[in-house]
Amino acid sequence: MGEEKKKSAKEIIETYDGPPVRIMEVCGTHTHENFRLGIRKLLPEQVELISGPGCPVCVTPVGFIDEAVYLALERGVTICTFGDLVRVPGTNMSLAGARAKGAKVHIVYSPADAEKYALEHPEEQVVFLSVGFETTTPAGCLSVKKAKADGLTNYSLLVANKTMPGAYAALKGSADVFLYPGHVNAITGTSLCESLVQEGVSGVVAGFTARELLTALAVALVKFKEGRPFFVNCYPRVVTKEGSQEAQTLMEELMEACDSEWRGLGVIPGSGLQLRESWQEYDARKKYLMPKIEGKPNPACRCGDVLQGKCKPSDCKVFGKGCTPLHPIGACMVSNEGACSAYFNYGGDYSEHLRIR
Amino acid sequence: MCVGLSAKVVKIGDGVAIVDADGAKREVSSQLIEDLEPGDYVMVHAGVAIARITDEDENETDQLLEELL
Repeated sequence: MGEEKKKSAKEIIETYDGPPVRIMEVCGTHTHENFRLGIRKLLPEQVELISGPGCPVCVTPVGFIDEAVYLALERGVTICTFGDLVRVPGTNMSLAGARAKGAKVHIVYSPADAEKYALEHPEEQVVFLSVGFETTTPAGCLSVKKAKADGLTNYSLLVANKTMPGAYAALKGSADVFLYPGHVNAITGTSLCESLVQEGVSGVVAGFTARELLTALAVALVKFKEGRPFFVNCYPRVVTKEGSQEAQTLMEELMEACDSEWRGLGVIPGSGLQLRESWQEYDARKKYLMPKIEGKPNPACRCGDVLQGKCKPSDCKVFGKGCTPLHPIGACMVSNEGACSAYFNYGGDYSEHLRIR
Repeated sequence: MCVGLSAKVVKIGDGVAIVDADGAKREVSSQLIEDLEPGDYVMVHAGVAIARITDEDENETDQLLEELL
């Protein structure tokens, strides 16, 4: 080593002189943080960040919103939900629209709060909109177990939880390197990422602070330049190889795999979760004999292409015009983690046009 | 909805923990982490402590770069 000064992560990124590389931010929060922290501005021209499918609100299909609206308006249940789902457009209306028509839509911070609401309001039938990846699923499972322990008969889940492995398989060719979502790996561990290396899929697990993101990108670029498929866990203070055994056992106990529709990616076999038969009294679809509802997204919206990295949010015709965070047409503009909302809020279209010139 | 928040455990109850995130205190589920103790740092998501935080990001990233070069 001698006198040679080590390069910082920032310097490694800024002086990258390897081949062009497309890095997919699987997690929407990574997209937002890379904008917010100014990291995108450091990237040399041949490094492209593309947004992936890792925002649960964004990949939830229109039909799911329609199901929730149906339960709220036709069946008179109280919907408890994370706030960002409320304004996602359904085929005819969003949950906010349903609320304007008299539906009861209650925003909660966690599934546990929804269960508590059901406990305190025995006269209401309460349905929690259970979306999310491996990170969020355990919280929904815990709320169902609590409802059982509390003897509740007025609490159920409308489940649209998804798991990441199927999405990685579907997106394999879309990017050269995956920036894996740290908090999914906190639950699942890293063995899947390691086995993907054998299929030629490279990636790094990234944390969420400026240091962690810069380091993860620096590691990704150095390894990519070496030319062999790789995997590095760049978030070891939270992510272990094994993940959370407790969470995995809990999900296994309550949930089983099913086919699931992703906005933009279509139906991915085995990529969704549903409550097992022994827990079906907490499954809102079974409890309310849900009819088959097929959602129709707005044809102008390109959220589907955005989620696959096929186009940038600013390539969409309605971006920033008909579709803004205040009046979203697609889910990616609604959610705080959505790629369109990140581009809109941080001027992604503008700065990138400047760079092209 | 997908926010992970780091917080310090200040009190342990039966399956729950009181955590302090920059002064905001809240009860979260501690059922996914064994042997949590006051003073531990955890990652909190949707009302559940999902992982123990074992280091600071500074040490973590220094070490990663050390291994890289």
